[in-house]
Amino acid sequence: MDRRRRLGLALLLAGVTLAGRASAHGGSLDAGARDSLVVPTWLFLTTGGAAVGASFLLASFVTDRSFIAAIHDWRREFTVPGRRLLAGAVSLLGVAGLAAVIVIGFLGPDAAVENAGYLLVWVGWWAGFTMTTYLVGNWWPALNPWRTIAGVLPSLDRPYPDRFGAWPAVVGLIALVYLEVVGPPAALADTLTPPVFIATLAVAYSVVTLSGALYYGTSWFDRADPVSRVFRYYGRVAPVAFERATDDDRAGDDAGDGRSFRLRLPGTALSKPRLVDGRDEVAFVVALLWATTFDGLVSTPAWRALLRPLGVSDLAARAVYLITMAAGFLVFYWVYRLAVGASRDLSEAHVSRAELAYRFAPPLLAIAAGYHLAHYLGYFLRLFPGMVESFLDPFSASGTVLTLSLPDWFGGVGLASIILGHLLAIWVAHTAAYDRFPSRLQAIRSQYPFIVVMVLYTMTSLWILSQPVIEPPFL
Amino acid sequence: MTETVTEREPDGSDGATERYERRPDLPVYECEHCGRPFARESWLALHRGQAHPGALDDEEIASFREAHADEEADMRRFRLKALGTLVLVYFALLMVYAVV
Repeated sequence: MDRRRRLGLALLLAGVTLAGRASAHGGSLDAGARDSLVVPTWLFLTTGGAAVGASFLLASFVTDRSFIAAIHDWRREFTVPGRRLLAGAVSLLGVAGLAAVIVIGFLGPDAAVENAGYLLVWVGWWAGFTMTTYLVGNWWPALNPWRTIAGVLPSLDRPYPDRFGAWPAVVGLIALVYLEVVGPPAALADTLTPPVFIATLAVAYSVVTLSGALYYGTSWFDRADPVSRVFRYYGRVAPVAFERATDDDRAGDDAGDGRSFRLRLPGTALSKPRLVDGRDEVAFVVALLWATTFDGLVSTPAWRALLRPLGVSDLAARAVYLITMAAGFLVFYWVYRLAVGASRDLSEAHVSRAELAYRFAPPLLAIAAGYHLAHYLGYFLRLFPGMVESFLDPFSASGTVLTLSLPDWFGGVGLASIILGHLLAIWVAHTAAYDRFPSRLQAIRSQYPFIVVMVLYTMTSLWILSQPVIEPPFL
Repeated sequence: MTETVTEREPDGSDGATERYERRPDLPVYECEHCGRPFARESWLALHRGQAHPGALDDEEIASFREAHADEEADMRRFRLKALGTLVLVYFALLMVYAVV
């Protein structure tokens, strides 16, 4: 280690220190985490929006077709020794994790922040693991405990009906996020503590997934399973593909039977045609984006203020959340269709709306990944030590929980990831447009509606990020 | 009146297919090599140069060159406008930050 690096490490350690124990109580694990702003909110949002708009203009300066193609076609293959052994170990880890979530969830401490099973789901898996899928590569097919279990069980291997497409995954994703946000009914809150609720959800999801796999075989994971699809799509943002080198980009990226890994520049896999192929898959990408937004939206004070005049009871609040969840998805989908229609008019191309919708949906995944990183990186770092500690003695409550306190500048990382996600999306869409249209000006013009929508979405995301976090109200 | 044509990408890259839909509200200039429709003659000329560079006759090469030169001039104008907008946005924000 050279001197400069040692200095950097020392600085890092000085900035990020273990700052002791927060008292443990259930419910929100991360309340009050968002930082307050120095500049007025409107200016902060305008700057963020302007940064996205300006980067579109900057991207449009890159007009050399062969240069763009060279960036996107760059790839390296590499092999990892002992890959099968590694995949086997990862599969075992996945099954052990699922067992831990269920067993510790039911039998461990009631408080969410002390329950190793609960923390494993939120901190280890949904925050930590998900980050690796878009920052490194999608290794869910190897880790997926249900796939491992289904692999040793017999299967009827019925052909999966094409007309179902990705719709079960769209509905499944919306349902999972909805249940995650609203939690168990208030009347059952005493028996269904957050860890028990998550464990119950894991059991229910296991029943559904394993039934699907028993009937349809592995095509269940490739087509209908929402969780596998989320990670497969996030994996397209990542620089490493754990798939067989000869397969095209639509083939399943099962880590089990490939020979080599493929390295590419982050996000470049998103510009390939046929990545999203059908209205159902567009709907899934939009649902993923909306679900992440919804998750943040319901924990803002503005949402509470909006609900208060309704004077809703627990059950009515659940209905309001459900309607908002569904309506918001439809609004997002409608706005995207509107942008596609406008793009078709502006580009004057003999192309169907559907074709444009498929082509420009994958860039949205980069935005979703950036938004996920903004929300969960801090959360993960803060709670990871507590998760490790909770595993040392999973069945007894300690009353305190170990947390990492992050330095003040860390809020900037969240903002940067949102902007970075949009920049990547702009670049990918720019490339896809160049690939699709013969005239460069036509390609640039086709992007105007998408850029307007992206600027609006950046401002919305930044606004949510600038708000204090509260518990989703009236539940 | 919509017609959807599915066919292979002319250069075969990614083994992908692309779909077209002829729109009745736009003129059609069809590529004689792969059948793709375009709404402007210059776009067809550009497409021919990009997708079928080996199969062009002298006239097609000349029209590609001309379309490319026109496009280059348009791009120059666009870059100038884009640069102007960038400067404007930058200074507008700078002013606002100075006041707020």
